[in-house]
Amino acid sequence: MIIETHDLTKTYGNKTACSSINLSVQEGHIYGFLGRNGAGKSTCIKMLTGLVHPTSGSGTVLGKPLGNVSIRAKMGYLPELFRYQDWMTGLDLLNFHSNLIKLKNKEDQIKRVLKLVGLEGQEKYKVGSFSKGMQQRIGLACALLPNPKLLFLDEPTSALDPIGRKDVRDIIVQLKNEGTTVFLNSHLLSEVEAVCDYVTFINKGTVLLSAPIEELLTSKIQLSIKAEHVSENLFETLKGKYDTFHRVEDGSFLVDLKEREEITDIASAFFSDGSLLYELVPQKETLESVFLKLVGEPIKKK
Amino acid sequence: MPADQFRPFAIQMVTKIGLQFSSTLIALLTIMLGSGTVASELENGLIHGILSRPIYRYQYILGKLFGLTIITSIYATVLYSAVLLIGAFYELNTITSLSFTQIAQGWFLYLLQPIAVLCITMYGSVSLKTVPNGILIIFIYILGSVGGMVEMMGLYLNNNSVIGTGIFVSLISPIQVIYSTMERVLLANSQMVSNFMPGASLSGSGKPASDWMFVYIGIYMLVFVILSVYKFSHKDIS
Repeated sequence: MIIETHDLTKTYGNKTACSSINLSVQEGHIYGFLGRNGAGKSTCIKMLTGLVHPTSGSGTVLGKPLGNVSIRAKMGYLPELFRYQDWMTGLDLLNFHSNLIKLKNKEDQIKRVLKLVGLEGQEKYKVGSFSKGMQQRIGLACALLPNPKLLFLDEPTSALDPIGRKDVRDIIVQLKNEGTTVFLNSHLLSEVEAVCDYVTFINKGTVLLSAPIEELLTSKIQLSIKAEHVSENLFETLKGKYDTFHRVEDGSFLVDLKEREEITDIASAFFSDGSLLYELVPQKETLESVFLKLVGEPIKKK
Repeated sequence: MPADQFRPFAIQMVTKIGLQFSSTLIALLTIMLGSGTVASELENGLIHGILSRPIYRYQYILGKLFGLTIITSIYATVLYSAVLLIGAFYELNTITSLSFTQIAQGWFLYLLQPIAVLCITMYGSVSLKTVPNGILIIFIYILGSVGGMVEMMGLYLNNNSVIGTGIFVSLISPIQVIYSTMERVLLANSQMVSNFMPGASLSGSGKPASDWMFVYIGIYMLVFVILSVYKFSHKDIS
């Protein structure tokens, strides 16, 4: 495991930011870390990057204990509240960070990361004159400078437009293909869903669920059925067979299925009953629906 | 006072004002430079990108201290040279009569004062936000002058408890001791000192500082540097 933590806890006075966090991140994975604002995600990342000292618990990153300095040469980190020396040009900033990590082939590497984040030709301008999106891109370039084995991205697309977001998604996938492990903290669930192999949900500093994303999204199928003249007998039969079968407010029915094959059984039952079947729509579980079930309720429409 | 007696007095006063003003200026400049050196980077989040690199926290603090010491030393040297050159230009005998040793010793003490201020400011910058730190260090700087004044008054009043209070305050803030020693070095043959204020410096301190006081100042500076490193190494960068 490239990251492993055991009961990692951080408290600030009476406030617990993270409580008994146990993580196991496999090398080469894109690991999504999800939770509401203030759930403790950034604190956890800061403990993993050595910026915050855990109150209790232990862990290893790249095989070394938390806080080890030498591993940071193989690690990249894009902070949530990215801020860089705005009096420097983009090139100065990358040179400065190259010197901090004692990069040998810095000129080639700087060119490579500038191209990767789409800032080629912009490097001679001052960071202070960059737009927020460009600043986030230059931050990502800094994080990518050491060719990291492990990359921490804390809200990497918060300041980017849709094209920029797609660019970052592509970069993440490219990094994965090159063998980099990415620890991704993002509120954009569609983004996480698109790229992550594994996700952990955290709320109020506690891990709620950790699972491979495939398992989460394909573990069940929710079927929406629109039909009329459904007999009481059919309703009771289906209710008996499927615990989750129920009628919703608009008169349609919902049922959770374990396998796709069950859809045909249900369709047959409606035809046999003589009901008028208008729609049979399997609704795929999304990360958003899992997230909302786990960490909060959606805002109810009035 | 006859004119022939007033002139040396005036020359000494002008020299003293030049030294005092420039020295206060460099101390304030040091406080301005140093009070936000760590605190502002903590406040604006600039530090996250730096400390996630393979550098130890002590390297960060010592690097900052080293850089600021160089900048402060350059400023201080420029100001010190300016005071001496202006004095020499106007043929002030307080300056023209200085030996090379006096100039070198004076320069060392002139540099030592802002560097001592920097050591305290660095600890403040690790512990406090920029503005409160700046205010606190200015207060400590002023406290040193007050300590010197109290000690001088104690000497005039021949009151040991007042002298003791002054010395105690100078131990809390020994910055003024460095300045007054520099003044003694540069104005060693001062008529004003010998005629009007025997045993006292012009800047309001009592007896000349002993060598042990300078050992104390060295330890004082070192302790603040060590405290800065220790505190910063244990600090959560949130």
